[in-house]
Amino acid sequence: MIKIPTNILLVDDEKDFVEILAMRLEEAGEKVTPAYDGQMCLDILDKKPIDVVILDIKMPGMDGINTLHKIKIMHPLVEVILLTGHGSTETAIEGMKLGAFDYLLKPADFDDLKAKLSGARKKKEEQDERIRKAEVRQLLRRGGNI
Amino acid sequence: MEPEQIKNIRLLLVDDEAQFRSTLAKRLQKRGVVALQAGSGEECLSILEDHPMDVVVLDVKMPGISGIDALSQITERHAETEVILLTGHAATQDGVEGIKSGAYDYLTKPVEFDHLLGKIIQAYEKILGEKQQKEAAEYRARTKQQMIATERLAALGTLAAGIAHEINNPLAIINESAGYLESLLQKQEYADMPRRAVFEKALKKIGGSVGRARNITHQLLGNVRKTKPILTDVDAFELVLETAQLIKKEAQEKEIVVDLQTAEALKPILTNPNQVRQVLINLISNAIHATPQQGRISVEVAPTAGGISIAVSDTGTGVPKEHLEKIFEPFFSTKAPGEGTGLGLFVTREIVEKLGGTVEVMSKIGQDTRFTVYIPDQGRAENMGNR
Repeated sequence: MIKIPTNILLVDDEKDFVEILAMRLEEAGEKVTPAYDGQMCLDILDKKPIDVVILDIKMPGMDGINTLHKIKIMHPLVEVILLTGHGSTETAIEGMKLGAFDYLLKPADFDDLKAKLSGARKKKEEQDERIRKAEVRQLLRRGGNI
Repeated sequence: MEPEQIKNIRLLLVDDEAQFRSTLAKRLQKRGVVALQAGSGEECLSILEDHPMDVVVLDVKMPGISGIDALSQITERHAETEVILLTGHAATQDGVEGIKSGAYDYLTKPVEFDHLLGKIIQAYEKILGEKQQKEAAEYRARTKQQMIATERLAALGTLAAGIAHEINNPLAIINESAGYLESLLQKQEYADMPRRAVFEKALKKIGGSVGRARNITHQLLGNVRKTKPILTDVDAFELVLETAQLIKKEAQEKEIVVDLQTAEALKPILTNPNQVRQVLINLISNAIHATPQQGRISVEVAPTAGGISIAVSDTGTGVPKEHLEKIFEPFFSTKAPGEGTGLGLFVTREIVEKLGGTVEVMSKIGQDTRFTVYIPDQGRAENMGNR
């Protein structure tokens, strides 16, 4: 079976980290777009179809939590996995309350990351599927009324 | 002074006149003071060697060594003993000299009994006062030392967490880089790469070391996490039994006897069970590591005034005094590199303090080490401030 790549947007101000993790994820068959700050992340989301955002919490300027907040308003169907080098799982948990799918502590175990990515993607696909069905029902109802 | 306290005075009467001594001793006994007697300065000094005294009533004019000579030896060897000199009527100069050499006071013969008893009591009160002052000073010094230690540990904790945080990012890059190269080596195109096995081995070592470093940074950071405390009624002995189950295998491998004891009237206390469990796991597994083959560990739970105490003792080799002072500091470890992070007791102490409790350690070289944790019942009014 051919693996359909997950469209990942990887956001971290540590460019070396973004570069190498993107290479590793691509090697594992995913499609990765890099971003180095919150604004860049939002700009890309406006232009490109993305399934999952991997988002560092601690970034200069707009931090991960603020970025997450905006993502959930503008692109509610995009799933977000938070990355934190910070000890405060508290922030990560706050992020999950704001709608993040899950979080990982840096340095993350790659298998953990892959498992969470596939979970996030599955959730997004189910959501997309429900929306598609709802739209179909709506079209059918409308059709019935004519 | 209360009659009860007068009874506690340890008194020695020194006079070469046996009649005088025994009459005085009888009168003192009627007032509740039991006095030992000595007939000479020599006898007095030899009694003091084995029987420490509070007050010595000392005649100045005696055959053999004089009262003044005996006094200077007493002040030299028994600094905590107070001396009241008895001088002849015409020899007040002796008394003044005596006070200069450290006597509490002097009385001239013939002595009025109540006056002497009054002086004895005053001298004893002076001793009690000095003892209290000394204890207070020791207490202050100890408290100050504890405060310094606490502040030092807090500063070290903050520093350690800061460093851990900064290290995590480069660590993540190292981790992903090694992982990336490893995944490349799995590919068909690299199957015939020269010395491929060596590359794989080196990358595995990088990965393993990242794991080790990550354990350290995560442990340090986990420590500063400010999760909301869960408080519930906790039966500490239940937790001890649970923990004993968890470490059973390790204990059995070393054929260590684990002895669990609890007071019968142990009531549950309101505290955070997860944190108490963590503390128990740390202390009990430490005890197992410290105890040689076929040794013995004991865990005792007992009620205290404000909560409970849990004491974990091992029959290991003991901890040298110079290590005891550092035992709760982060990264202090006597284990081989990679075997212990040096954070177990540091984390234990942080957790216990978060619970409003304290942890103490006592150790005898070659015998045993005993950690005692005091955990307050947060359901009690007087402990509410610890929440």
